[in-house]
Amino acid sequence: MIRRPTVLVFQWLTQLVTDLKDSTDASLLGVARFLGLLYGPIDRRLPIDKAWRKAMTYRLPSYVGWRHAFGGITYLLFIVLVVTGVLLALYYRPSAQEAYPSIQHIVSDVTFGWLVRDVHVWAANLIVIATLAHMARVFFAAAYKPPRETNWLIGLLLLFVVLAFGASGYLLPWDQWAYWTVTEVLGSVDVVPVFGTALADALKGDVIASGATLSRYFALHVIVLPWIAFALLVYHFVLVRRRGIAPPAGVEVEREGSVPFFPNHLLRSFIVSVLVLAVLFSLAALSPRPIGEPANPFVVPDELVSTWVPVDVSLALIHFFGHWGLALFTLLGLSLVLIPLFDRTPQRRMRQRPVVTALGLIFFTGFVAAWLAGRQIRGIPTVTPQTEVLDERGQQPTPGTPLPELGPSPIRPSVRDSVRPGREP
Amino acid sequence: MTRGGMAGALLLAGVLMTLAAQRLAARQDQQPGARLDTSYGCIVCHADKRRAFTLGIHSERGIRCHDCHGGNPAALETTAAHRGRFIGTPDRLGTVTVCSACHADPAQMRQYGLHTDQLAELRTSRHGQLLLGQGNQDAPSCTNCHDAHTILPPEDARSNVHPTNISATCAGCHEDAQLMGKYRLPTTQYEEFRASAHGVGLFERQNLAAPTCIGCHGSHSALPPGVSEVVNVCDQCHVLVGRAFNLGPHAEAARSGELPGCLGCHSNHGTERVPPDELAATCTPCHELQSNATLMGVEIQEQVSRAAEELELAQRAIEELTMVGYPVSDARFRYQAALTNYLQMARVQHQLDVEQLQDLALRVGSISREIRTTAEVRMEHRWEHQLWLIPVWFLGLAAVLFAWFMLRRVRREGA
Repeated sequence: MIRRPTVLVFQWLTQLVTDLKDSTDASLLGVARFLGLLYGPIDRRLPIDKAWRKAMTYRLPSYVGWRHAFGGITYLLFIVLVVTGVLLALYYRPSAQEAYPSIQHIVSDVTFGWLVRDVHVWAANLIVIATLAHMARVFFAAAYKPPRETNWLIGLLLLFVVLAFGASGYLLPWDQWAYWTVTEVLGSVDVVPVFGTALADALKGDVIASGATLSRYFALHVIVLPWIAFALLVYHFVLVRRRGIAPPAGVEVEREGSVPFFPNHLLRSFIVSVLVLAVLFSLAALSPRPIGEPANPFVVPDELVSTWVPVDVSLALIHFFGHWGLALFTLLGLSLVLIPLFDRTPQRRMRQRPVVTALGLIFFTGFVAAWLAGRQIRGIPTVTPQTEVLDERGQQPTPGTPLPELGPSPIRPSVRDSVRPGREP
Repeated sequence: MTRGGMAGALLLAGVLMTLAAQRLAARQDQQPGARLDTSYGCIVCHADKRRAFTLGIHSERGIRCHDCHGGNPAALETTAAHRGRFIGTPDRLGTVTVCSACHADPAQMRQYGLHTDQLAELRTSRHGQLLLGQGNQDAPSCTNCHDAHTILPPEDARSNVHPTNISATCAGCHEDAQLMGKYRLPTTQYEEFRASAHGVGLFERQNLAAPTCIGCHGSHSALPPGVSEVVNVCDQCHVLVGRAFNLGPHAEAARSGELPGCLGCHSNHGTERVPPDELAATCTPCHELQSNATLMGVEIQEQVSRAAEELELAQRAIEELTMVGYPVSDARFRYQAALTNYLQMARVQHQLDVEQLQDLALRVGSISREIRTTAEVRMEHRWEHQLWLIPVWFLGLAAVLFAWFMLRRVRREGA
């Protein structure tokens, strides 16, 4: 009794779906043909179709697995930073008067502005970790050895670009923490011999960090560095395609089979990307970057809250080992640049190159340890406001300026003695 | 060299020498003491006093050594120079005479806009009574505070009588235990003053309006105020509080000398705000523990403490709002209104008007609650942001599972 109507309904639904599918296919075919009419002449000049087919049939060696995902994660985070950065740039106003209120506007009034900003902030942190993880994989797998040493150097340049992006973006919120951290960093740059003062002055564009500095940092962040990053990324990818992905130690490329990029590697990348984006959203929602008081050159805050991984690392190194510790660790990191020049032997197992492996272990584990420790440390500013800078009313700023020592008048150091009885002036 | 060449060279040399002489003269004019020319005899022997003197205002006004010390400045030998009306280094009493010769003369001081009542004031002061009345050389003279040669106006930060220096100048004698012991005076005033609200205002906040020693004791007429005068002394700056005090029940006691005015609750040199939670404790030295007056003190303490707590909560709420990036200018404006009401409470407490105090405390609480409500709403928004994670993770994990099964299928088919 009930079975027959059910079967009828099912048949009707099946027919409906089939008709819809056929109709959609026909429509899509029509649209595709129309586009083909437009696309045909273009494709004759630019072999896009051929390139697309080539990409679809591209194969990767079978040893390429999950551990190779870090490079992809870094690229994904870079894209996230570009997209969120463009969205932020729609509302951000890079001037000393408007920067801070525009950040408040973004996180308070703009729909999902809070999400865009905090995803941008967290992506800027995670990209440093992802880049270093990617570099650590390349380093310990000895993938920097010939013929891939150029790509190692390009990768290092990309790391510096990532750090420069973070450093130039750090000032943009224009709150007290950003302002005084940048002031501290510029003070450190200033004492570097030979070029330090010139570089610090060029970055500041003023006697103190001011609106001029903000404009320079903004220009670097959104105009100069993106082009450099784009050029280096293209070169990096071209070299990856030309040289191929380095095989693990003891594996010969010729004997290895291959797997198609599409869909195998793409599905793997998709899984990793979704997880990374979910983690990024979670961090943005659960731990948004706090905002300090508006930047004030006359008032030094009691403490500096760090919001970027390299600042955490620097704080920890200075806290535990002093400024020399930070300098030595930076030198160790920079020495990685030179490794491809010296370590040119064909050995790729870690046991066969103990010194290089030890150096790498110290750097990468030290970085992670310093990062974790630095998150617990609150920086205390060591700089003082520029007393020669006058405030808007043309007066010496009173808050924060060092107070004159109490006691005798500067004219007569021994005023108290001179007014004692029996001592006539 | 031709005659024309020689003439040209001489002309050039002449021009250069003229320019050099002008530069040298200009430089000498800029040097301190330029007004004391080298033909002035006193500096031949007393060169050490020259620099100290030329830094002072007297040098700027053209006063010279002989105007105070007498003698003949045209002479270059000691005997000839110390002839005539020469008084050498005057003693403390003599110093007063020398200074007041000009400074008590309106005809001379009018041009500088200076008062001429310093000598008259000095006569009324304890210092003057000792020095002028008894010839006591322990008492300070003009130069003990103003310096003998480098005399600077009080507005000059280098002056010994500048607000930031004068307490140290007074302490020069008043911290001397041996000297003060003779007159049974304490020596802790300076340290107490530095730690007091007035000292903190002056030295740490650089508020030059904060009173120093002379603000309460007078400068040339220095004397400790009498018990019945204390309120009037404090009233000079704390006008509204003083007016409120005079309207309250304590005023009569202060006038009759039963209560030492403001010092009944605050101290003199170490003046400080009474903390809100210690207000009632200031009543018990004079009033019985369970008396109506003490109970009123407890009520005042409760109102003030509650208002202080509300202000702190509002401040914390503003900090929270700042941290989440919410514009806080409106909240800060409201906070200022609450703060104004709280400061008005300080005035009303002195009048002991509990009803008005309650009204002000209510206003502070009301504004504080408004600010806190705004902060709570913003915090709820943050919580709502976190709810977005549910669909994000649900869809994300679904997509990951789907891709995972697809990958397995592709691998199986590939194998």
